Amino acid sequence: MPKNPGLIFLAAFLVNNILLIRYLGLCPFFGVSTSLNTAFGMSAAVLFVMLLAAWVTWFIFHIILIPANLVFLRTATFILVIASLVQFVEMFLRKNFRTLYSAMGIYLPLITTNCAILAVTFLNIDYKFNLLQATIFALGTGLGFALVIILFAALRERLDFAPINRSFRGYPIAFIAASLVSLAFLGFIGLFGLSL
Amino acid sequence: MKSKFYMVFALVVVCLISAIALSQVFSITQIKIEKQKTEAVLANLNRVLPSAFRFEEVTAVPQALWIGFDQNGKKVGIVFKIAPRGYGGPIETLVGIDTSQKITGIHIASAAEGLKETPGLGLKVRDDWFRNQFIEKTKNDLKLKRDGGAIDAITAATISSRTVTDGIKQGLEMYGKYLKADSIQSQIE
Amino acid sequence: MNNKSSRLSYLTRGIILENPTLILMIGLCPTLATSITAKDGLGMGAAASFVIIGSNLVVSLLRKLIPTSIRIPIFIIIISTFVTIIDYVLQAYQPALYRVLGVFVPLIVVNCIVLGRVEAFAYKHGVFDSFLDGLGKSLGFTLVLGVMGIIREFFGAGTLFGKIATPVWFRQYPMLLMLFPPGAFLLIGIFKALINKFMKQESL
Repeated sequence: MPKNPGLIFLAAFLVNNILLIRYLGLCPFFGVSTSLNTAFGMSAAVLFVMLLAAWVTWFIFHIILIPANLVFLRTATFILVIASLVQFVEMFLRKNFRTLYSAMGIYLPLITTNCAILAVTFLNIDYKFNLLQATIFALGTGLGFALVIILFAALRERLDFAPINRSFRGYPIAFIAASLVSLAFLGFIGLFGLSL
Repeated sequence: MKSKFYMVFALVVVCLISAIALSQVFSITQIKIEKQKTEAVLANLNRVLPSAFRFEEVTAVPQALWIGFDQNGKKVGIVFKIAPRGYGGPIETLVGIDTSQKITGIHIASAAEGLKETPGLGLKVRDDWFRNQFIEKTKNDLKLKRDGGAIDAITAATISSRTVTDGIKQGLEMYGKYLKADSIQSQIE
Repeated sequence: MNNKSSRLSYLTRGIILENPTLILMIGLCPTLATSITAKDGLGMGAAASFVIIGSNLVVSLLRKLIPTSIRIPIFIIIISTFVTIIDYVLQAYQPALYRVLGVFVPLIVVNCIVLGRVEAFAYKHGVFDSFLDGLGKSLGFTLVLGVMGIIREFFGAGTLFGKIATPVWFRQYPMLLMLFPPGAFLLIGIFKALINKFMKQESL
């Protein structure tokens, strides 16, 4: 993994796209990419929580877990922190920002079990990122998620009207469409010498 | 009816048991994990410089370098690590050289050890026929045949082949001096 | 509840009728990411099975002691304990496999299969039934991973479990696509279409 913030962003955004190259966060991807509206709401929620989670877990890991020699509690701590963070954000938005809540509120509970969020926090630790690099990485990953899910929602809205064999309707054709889109993203492999 | 106190109590007990169990697992496996890492390195060192009995790591160089000794404590050669950039990322390579400046073997990290080349193309740098042609070669042979050297390139993976070959040559030029001196100390200074 | 045929169905329905990956469409990420070779796929399946069966057992044992209102945090702690154990055990005893599975081992903690089974089944049933249910779901999950791994390795690299399985002409120009993400998506799409065709509407 590069150390330069610009390269980290590019690597997270395109080259190692979280959905199509890393295969993370696929459940919400296929679940909500049926229409453009839900895709926008979901991507906003993911981007927001991903950044928050990256910061909070980075501080917890470096300020509490490492000095206390408790790194083996990483998995348990991170998942609990993210779950409570999501709850907290949901309550906060519902009380203070009604418009924002109506746009992405219903997607927040779904995010707790979104493996993309947890994966970003783990990878920040595995790659030994500092706070700035971790932020850029979370930002790039979240935007990469948004890019693909929105592209894909536009594609699926048109698929609904296409004459498709009955057995292939719904999930199967979505998978095959994802296969073709990820083939396009495969073209980014090796860009600037970046890879997983 | 379960009270608030019981809820907190249950949560604390579960957390405690989990933490104790995990710290036990952690302390048992950590020893094994460390041992595994050093053993894996040693096995690879032995593979590229078979005549050595014991290795000593030199820490004062940019990338890893080991000096190999035989049973009598005589220096038999060196092993150095290079990581030239391939198509998918760095190609970690260990190179062994004996005291006559000839290559005794090279080892290229497997996909499981972090190699990210294209399966079926760039990944073929790990094939025996490609690696073994480096054995017994000296600095001047280290070019692809099409560049006037003695190394056959892999079909459809010329870039990876050239990367590895050039990397080894550069490594030889950089670390060759460690072969000449009798003691490690005089070189580090 | 206690007659034999319904008990057996706890085990068998997870394998086909309620297959976690192909029917319920959960746990897709590890299924696609770690099924590059047969060995990796089965390794991932085994790691996930350990967590599914382990947490099912513990939760059904403690089900009368866990207060309903805070059951989810307690489930998560129990699950993440098992996940961390398998994480370190794989690192110590199967380092090569661990390097391939990577971040997907700790991510078993958010695999919906685990929390789903604990919440929907183990919290309400006895130890033996929960074991059967966990075993069934694990087998269903591992089966899909294994089959996908075998197909992808065979066509993508021309080998099976690392052993040469195809003639030279095939191995020189294998279907590399199968090893990459597009191949994984394509394969699971075809699986799902076949299921739609042969299992009628009951699964949709």
